[in-house]
Amino acid sequence: MDMSLTLVLAVNSLTLGGLLFLLSAGFSLIFGLMKIPNLTHGSFFMLGGYVAASLIGWGVDFWSAALLSGLLVAAFGGIVERLILRRLAGAELAQVLVTLGLSFMVADVCLTVWTGDPIRIDTPSALRGATSVLGVAFPAYRLAISVIAVLFAAALWALLDQTRLGAMIRAGVDDPAMARVVGIRVSRLFTLVFCLGAWLAGFAGVIGGPILSVYPGLDQEMLPLALVVVILGGSGSLLGSLVGSFIVGFLYNFGQALFPELAYVVLFLPMLVVLVLRPQGLFGRQAG
Amino acid sequence: MANDALALSEIDAFYGDSHVLHDVSLRLGDGRLLGLLGRNGAGKSSSMHVAVGLLPPRRGAVTVYGRQVTGRAPEAIAALGVALVPQGRRVFKSLTVRENLAVAGRRPRGGLPMLWTLETVATLFPRLRERGKQIAGSLSGGEQQMLAIGRALMSNPRVLLMDEPSEGLAPQIVAEVMSTIRRLKAEGLSIVLVEQNAKLVADVADDIVILNSGRVVVEGSAADLRRRGIDLRQHLGIY
Ligand SMILES: Nc1ncnc2c1ncn2[C@@H]1O[C@H](COP(=O)(O)OP(=O)(O)O)[C@@H](O)[C@H]1O
Ligand SMILES: [Mg+2]
Repeated sequence: MDMSLTLVLAVNSLTLGGLLFLLSAGFSLIFGLMKIPNLTHGSFFMLGGYVAASLIGWGVDFWSAALLSGLLVAAFGGIVERLILRRLAGAELAQVLVTLGLSFMVADVCLTVWTGDPIRIDTPSALRGATSVLGVAFPAYRLAISVIAVLFAAALWALLDQTRLGAMIRAGVDDPAMARVVGIRVSRLFTLVFCLGAWLAGFAGVIGGPILSVYPGLDQEMLPLALVVVILGGSGSLLGSLVGSFIVGFLYNFGQALFPELAYVVLFLPMLVVLVLRPQGLFGRQAG
Repeated sequence: MANDALALSEIDAFYGDSHVLHDVSLRLGDGRLLGLLGRNGAGKSSSMHVAVGLLPPRRGAVTVYGRQVTGRAPEAIAALGVALVPQGRRVFKSLTVRENLAVAGRRPRGGLPMLWTLETVATLFPRLRERGKQIAGSLSGGEQQMLAIGRALMSNPRVLLMDEPSEGLAPQIVAEVMSTIRRLKAEGLSIVLVEQNAKLVADVADDIVILNSGRVVVEGSAADLRRRGIDLRQHLGIY
């Protein structure tokens, strides 16, 4: 494998890693904090891309479309959480079935609204072309995605670890009943966490658009990747999601280039190994 | 009575099918200390859970300063100035000491001055200041008890419910906790002190209620019970 191919793959891995972080951070928070295995998470990603494509078609600029589309997806997530998942608290099988069913429904609706053709989202103009780093030309937008992911990781960590709001959320996870007795509105905070996770996924779908496009089945392609990330990194751990995302980004790209017929083995084998040897994930807290 | 800080009236409460409180009535007068006694499984903690909204009663009423709160959510009852130091302390184990206190912070009702803050709680329990950045789960039992009391105070409550605060603590720490309780009482807080240890309660309580199998079996002012020559310990089966 020559040097330039390695570099291209490395950049692509960083890009995919960044997207996966935005996708899986939300999945990991929702699963780690609320114990909800949210299989509509891939749909949030796809929906974000589709909605933004329409917004951009109506003349909204890329970044506003990304923020707005994320908000719409967050609102949708909030409704799902309050109206449906709230009633299934603790019933994990029911949650799996309901969120899986919802993901098929979202896919159908998207197919009807946006047809079956892939929709490309144009790269925002400021980030078209290449940046030169140490004399090597890199596609600017792809690098920007990894930078955005790292910035979001830092912001999320600060929110959860350094603010009173974050401490309230963690208190609600530690002992929900006692948190309520102390006056914390746990149910409202959990809705907020769910919306935040949905927002991140929707936003990721938009900024992934210029690279992946938006097309039917994107949801079911992204979801397993998020699962692998969360299992590798450990649910509820932001650092785990960040590291896991970049690991999966590299495994996916290099796996497909080097062993195209074994790409899924390369991707899922580490997940199996981690599940068996270290079920809490690389950075997860020991259960209990 | 309207000036009772907290009243449970004719409460029946269940865990599923199991009937744990039978027609229980308790009254905590404003600024008074009610000792709630009873052996293990008598229904003391269940009564406290009814008071804070964790166990909605099937029958009966809960009032806080005359206001009906029966069936309201725990967070709503907390907002009325009721705080609980739960049995087993139940500090938020993965939070730091400071965070445990901060998440419970709340201004007192009705624009009263802010009595309890991170600063004043740390002055009351200097150990908590030293351990501010430590994870609460790593504290000793006594320190966790102080944290649980501090956390309850952070909400600047009018009514403080303490469920077996001496449980599992060394005698010297128990003495420290009891002197804190005296001090809080002197500051005008209305307190329910749940205990299995009658001796601890007899010293500080204005009023006493003894529960047995989910029923009130003895009640009266401490002075009254003494006058009537009622031996608390006999009702607790502790000698
Ligand atoms: N969560 C629960 N589910 C079912 N039964 C319970 C629960 N908590 C307490 N009980 C039962 O309710 C009764 C009263 O318990 P509790 O109020 O904890 O007593 P105390 O605090 O006086 O020791 C006991 O018989 C106990 O076994
Ligand atoms: Mg008890």
